[in-house]
Amino acid sequence: PRTAAHTGELYCSLPNPRNVHFESINMKNVLHWSAPEGTGEGVLYKVKYSVYGIGKWIRKPECRNINRTWCDLSNETADYEEQYYASVKAFLNGMCSDWMETARFNPLTDTKLDPPMVNLSSTEKSISIILTAPEKWKRSPDGESVSLLQVYPGLQYNVSVLNKKTKKRWFFSISNNTLVVPWLEPGTAYCVSAQIHVTTPLIHSGFSKEYCIATLKDKTA
Amino acid sequence: RISMSVTEIRSGFTAIKANIQARDPIRTLSILSHPQSLHKVKSSDRCCIIHNLFNFYMDKVFKHCQTEDSYINRKISSIANSFLSIKRKLEQCHNQNKCLCGQESTEKFKQILANYEGLNITSAAIKSLGELDILLDWMEKSR
Amino acid sequence: EDALLPSPQNISILSTNMRHFLTWSPVTIQGETVRYSVEFQGEYEREYANESWIPICECSLITATVCNITEDISATVAYNLRVRADTGARRSQWGTLKGFFNRITTSLTPPPMKVIADGYHLLVELKDMGPAFQFCVLYWKKGQESRMHWKMVKDVSSTVHLDTMEAGHDYCVKAQTYVETINRSSSFSQTQCVRAQGGRSLWL
Repeated sequence: PRTAAHTGELYCSLPNPRNVHFESINMKNVLHWSAPEGTGEGVLYKVKYSVYGIGKWIRKPECRNINRTWCDLSNETADYEEQYYASVKAFLNGMCSDWMETARFNPLTDTKLDPPMVNLSSTEKSISIILTAPEKWKRSPDGESVSLLQVYPGLQYNVSVLNKKTKKRWFFSISNNTLVVPWLEPGTAYCVSAQIHVTTPLIHSGFSKEYCIATLKDKTA
Repeated sequence: RISMSVTEIRSGFTAIKANIQARDPIRTLSILSHPQSLHKVKSSDRCCIIHNLFNFYMDKVFKHCQTEDSYINRKISSIANSFLSIKRKLEQCHNQNKCLCGQESTEKFKQILANYEGLNITSAAIKSLGELDILLDWMEKSR
Repeated sequence: EDALLPSPQNISILSTNMRHFLTWSPVTIQGETVRYSVEFQGEYEREYANESWIPICECSLITATVCNITEDISATVAYNLRVRADTGARRSQWGTLKGFFNRITTSLTPPPMKVIADGYHLLVELKDMGPAFQFCVLYWKKGQESRMHWKMVKDVSSTVHLDTMEAGHDYCVKAQTYVETINRSSSFSQTQCVRAQGGRSLWL
């Protein structure tokens, strides 16, 4: 690489990585980017990040000279009371690109939430629904689990219950994670899906897939 | 009703966040969150910090954030007027003396002013506006 | 020489269910197309920003005599509004709304509502009126008006489940809108009653 005489910096003429951004789900924060325009195989990248307000750029060793176009920075951005920037530089055949930065990333507001887990049980005339909010990303499987309920105290659930026989759908909004729907028809299939809804900051998950269960048959019939 | 006004401020800020933060090239300095995070403020000092910060935004921030973009200016006006309506409500609490400033919060607020005065006025105002989510996150978290 | 055009008259606000419109009488000039521009000024602008005015670009040089100002009236403070006429060659003085406008004065109408009995379940369908709106739904077993139940409903994207009903009994429901930012409610909708399964199906 040619050195820029006056600044001693490498003169970087390779096109820049594009669309450098965080993709975050349940605060698993992964940096993504697209390869520089017109560069085929063989491009390598390195990544750095910084905490907003401190500004010291920190290299990410596991994402040095990588050929993939993503880098998991969940560990480095786990403190959701801070905000972050990340940056990527590309290398090919001795040439390099400029550092390309993300917008400022706020893990608390810029993450997406998975729908809750839905567990069902039924009796002859009722179904019981137990919802479990997803966990915040954690460093290791045996690490301490933090429910997103602790991160977003105002978290609520929207629950949809579909009677497969009548095709009628009912909606419930609940703050705690259990719901019993009584007085149902015996021997009838009901399908349930649920969504997480946070009002401040305004975030909501999609609806979960439908979980179905049938009420038990009426023994007296 | 403060919570709903905060929600309105949040939605106004979300609409301009990327634009305003892109106008702030300084990564190495934060007005609100460094060196000492708002999240470290004791709950007893909360009311005083919020009161001081609302005055800070009214007196020193919004008026210096004029841009060439009329959409951005309208959203800033919307946020500023929502701030004013909240400030009116907070004043009732401050006037009834339930809003005492401890040593820690006085120091914290001095630090914020020092961070602000460390930059030229427009950069400091734009940076403060770009950090509105830091204030809102802290207000909503400890509600 | 600029202020030859008469300024718009009869400037007023139509505000219903937190949707706010500025209207005025047309300025008619023989053989010319008259256009209008609208500006607003919040309490913040008056007290902190040198009484500055902010243009509403969607209502800049328009021919209509109405402007939707909902997006800009986004705080519960007193707003000033003004409009002026413009033919390109000539322009009028600003015509200013008499008195301030505060969204707290918006008129709130009872919500359209449909009550449904589905077996032993009492349900209600409400129309989404925007993020500022919640619904306070009251329901009771007919004859037991003293034992009313209520539920605050925010998400109304579909049929909302209220409660279960005792077989064969009649249940009545009424609802009102509630806007938290201005802390006001509409009057109640008409009461609607339905009968739970297990009795004669009769719409009352």
